[in-house]
Amino acid sequence: MSIRIQRVPSENVAGGIAARLIAILLALLVAAIVFAISGADLGKLGSHVFKSTFGSRFGLMDLGLIVTPLILTGLAVTVAMKVGAWNIGAEGQFCAGAIAATAVALFVPGPTIVVLPLMFVAGAVGGMLWILIPTLARAYADVSELITTLLLNFVGALFIYYLATGPWLDPSGLSFAATKRLPHDVPSFWGDVHWGLPIAVLLTISLAGVLNYTRWGYEVRIAGSNPAAARYAAIPFRRHLIVVMLMSGAIAGLAGMFEVIGTTHRLQGGISNNFGYIGIMVAVLARGSAIGVIAGAALMAVILKSGIALQTQGVNISTVLALTGLILFFTAIGDELSHYRIVRSKPA
Amino acid sequence: MVMNVMLDVDRMAASGVAGQPIVSLRGVAKHFPGVIANQDVDFDLLPGEIHALLGENGAGKSTLMNILTGIYRPDLGEIIIDGKAVTFASPVEAIAAGIGMVHQHFKLVKAFTVAENIHLGWSETPGRISKALLEARTAEIAASLNLAVKPGARVSDLSTGEQQRVEILRVLSRKARVLILDEPTAVLTPAEASELFKALRQFAARGNAVIFISHKLDEVLEISDRVTVLRGGRKVATRPTSECDKRGLARLMVGQEVVLSNMRERKPGAKPISDAPVLSLRNVSARDDLGNMCLKNVTLDLRAGEILGIAGVAGNGQKELSQVLTGVRRAASGEIRVCGKDLSSRGAEEFAAFGIGHIPEDRLHSGLAPALSITDNVVIREYGKAPLSQGWVYRPSAAAALARSIAEAASVSVPDFRMPVRNLSGGNQQRLVARREMRIASNLLVAAYPSRGLDVGAINAMMGYFTELRDAGVGVLFVSEELEELFKLSDRIAVMFHGEVMGVVDSSEVDIETIGLMMGGQRRLEAGSAEGIS
Repeated sequence: MSIRIQRVPSENVAGGIAARLIAILLALLVAAIVFAISGADLGKLGSHVFKSTFGSRFGLMDLGLIVTPLILTGLAVTVAMKVGAWNIGAEGQFCAGAIAATAVALFVPGPTIVVLPLMFVAGAVGGMLWILIPTLARAYADVSELITTLLLNFVGALFIYYLATGPWLDPSGLSFAATKRLPHDVPSFWGDVHWGLPIAVLLTISLAGVLNYTRWGYEVRIAGSNPAAARYAAIPFRRHLIVVMLMSGAIAGLAGMFEVIGTTHRLQGGISNNFGYIGIMVAVLARGSAIGVIAGAALMAVILKSGIALQTQGVNISTVLALTGLILFFTAIGDELSHYRIVRSKPA
Repeated sequence: MVMNVMLDVDRMAASGVAGQPIVSLRGVAKHFPGVIANQDVDFDLLPGEIHALLGENGAGKSTLMNILTGIYRPDLGEIIIDGKAVTFASPVEAIAAGIGMVHQHFKLVKAFTVAENIHLGWSETPGRISKALLEARTAEIAASLNLAVKPGARVSDLSTGEQQRVEILRVLSRKARVLILDEPTAVLTPAEASELFKALRQFAARGNAVIFISHKLDEVLEISDRVTVLRGGRKVATRPTSECDKRGLARLMVGQEVVLSNMRERKPGAKPISDAPVLSLRNVSARDDLGNMCLKNVTLDLRAGEILGIAGVAGNGQKELSQVLTGVRRAASGEIRVCGKDLSSRGAEEFAAFGIGHIPEDRLHSGLAPALSITDNVVIREYGKAPLSQGWVYRPSAAAALARSIAEAASVSVPDFRMPVRNLSGGNQQRLVARREMRIASNLLVAAYPSRGLDVGAINAMMGYFTELRDAGVGVLFVSEELEELFKLSDRIAVMFHGEVMGVVDSSEVDIETIGLMMGGQRRLEAGSAEGIS
């Protein structure tokens, strides 16, 4: 009787969940050891972190607010990956969506019921416009979208600073890097948590369905995996590339829209909070699965919120970042391990 | 186990072959998920010999060599070098023990020069290096090993044969005593291959040993001193090459008598060749990816129930011809008719819808999406039709059912249809592609080099598929560079040279030499079907 470990091509579901749970526990254990060595009061830190995440109404609300943009940016990156494109620019499209939605809120008069759908459309269109040039450059001139989408992030972030400190600055003079409070809000359904969250979840589930259960989804899969095979099977690679990349930009734009009218209620510098970049991590954790994005975004939200809680307890930012990395690292190992199984066999 | 070793060595001593083996493998086994890659393999390599390792795709040759070179560790069994059992924790240790391998796909840095490639990752590379020093050292090593290379040339500028020589030089410069070559001639011209054989003989004559992996019987008979045949991961036999013949080796390799007979004979009940052509080309010209004219005024007719072979040295327009015939490449001028309908300016979709199947030349690059599942790959022709799709809804369960039936028809056993198709062996990939295309080929099948890189068993399966289609009344266009194969299967053979058809001949009325001359550019104007060629 010999026991071996084998890599299997498809994930073993029960083992996968177990491996990930063990990974998170291990990461927490290592974190606890580090804190204990540095002389912190583990019980106090732990209970504080718990209270500011799952352990209190406010903690849960904050998680709900953080997870919404992460689901959308993670979904944006995942969708682009399906067609073989790396959208590193969710951050910039997030900014563009936020700007477009703010413009509508500031300059289109009317009741909320009319303006809100307009803001929704503006957010999506803003994100789409932001990825349009990288998309066309990739589709027609084979320019790497990795570079172009990334560079446009800085343009988007700086444009927000310009608007929020210049032409759109709050006229009341009470803030110096933000617009006035926007006249319309996305309605909330639980405390501060607005309808952006259920919409993001719903969007993710329906996109997962579209990708798996439509002819279009199948074609996107083939086109994204091998453009030459797509050409061979008469699948229009370029058309799918353009449509899917624009979709990706629109989803990231929606993230920015919800953030500005649901969470911050003003357009302000630094509004994107790296949500676009963290979306890349979410997508990598989700391993290309649209549904996996929800789990990945939830994990990242807990990590981010815990990090903020630790900082308020005097733990310095480098330690928090190191911990974040550690948890991601362990989760990635857990991910990989879920693709193995233990095989018992008699020696032949 | 120990007894066995003694017996083997005794027998060798008795047969007069030089003493102790350089390498011995004893009872080696290696398992992968769902696959026994190697089981109970014993193998001896003697100093001074060229030992051929023969087997079909997936017979376990590469796995066995990966074990010997430290890439894999065996699950069972031992590796004995110079009489001492060793374990290799990494390829570096195998190299230190004098075992080097030249892989089928070269592991060179293309942007570097030959000298830089030779010195890359080598402990003997001097700490302070200069271009001149590296090139001088390379020239010296090359001269001492009698291998002609250009030390200052960039690898990307070299021919495949020259690149292979650099690979060999890199291995030998590390003081290798055992040189393993994986399908070395697959990428070489005949002249380059005979150059290589000469170098291998010189290397072996210095008391070293060569393991030569191949599934080409001719060259195994030509180059090797002994042959070991693997089948299904197990060793079938080790024999001196002088006692082997082609037929016997083929039998050992596939485990049954290979049908080398003429496959042009129709089965009773087969549909006759039609009078009207199913495919006709009139003065078709096309450009290649670089914009050069690669097809010039090609005029051809193919009738239903007929196999038309396309012969020629690779790169004379055959690839582009098969692409033009399947709508993947647009013709620049001329007319393509299928069953009388003009498809000249149509795309791949219309060609497929018109009952034209296509086995592309480079299946992994254009016929398959390697990273996607087997299911996704085998339904690529039918995903849009019922029952796989209803309207815009795609049904994964129906796709999985179709995938199972295609795999069954191809006799490919698949442990898990969600597995990426690249995990299958080349032969199994090609069987699936062929079966997939046959399902849509109601009028015509265009097969470009379908047997390239396959073993005898898979090639026979391919040939069987084509005759099956032919007997069902489908026209088959069969592009190959193996004349034997073309003669065995084709009713007529068209020969291409520099993008033109040199002539179309009846394969029962022509000999190999004539075809050879046409492949070299000699026209055959008297052939009846070649009218219209100016």
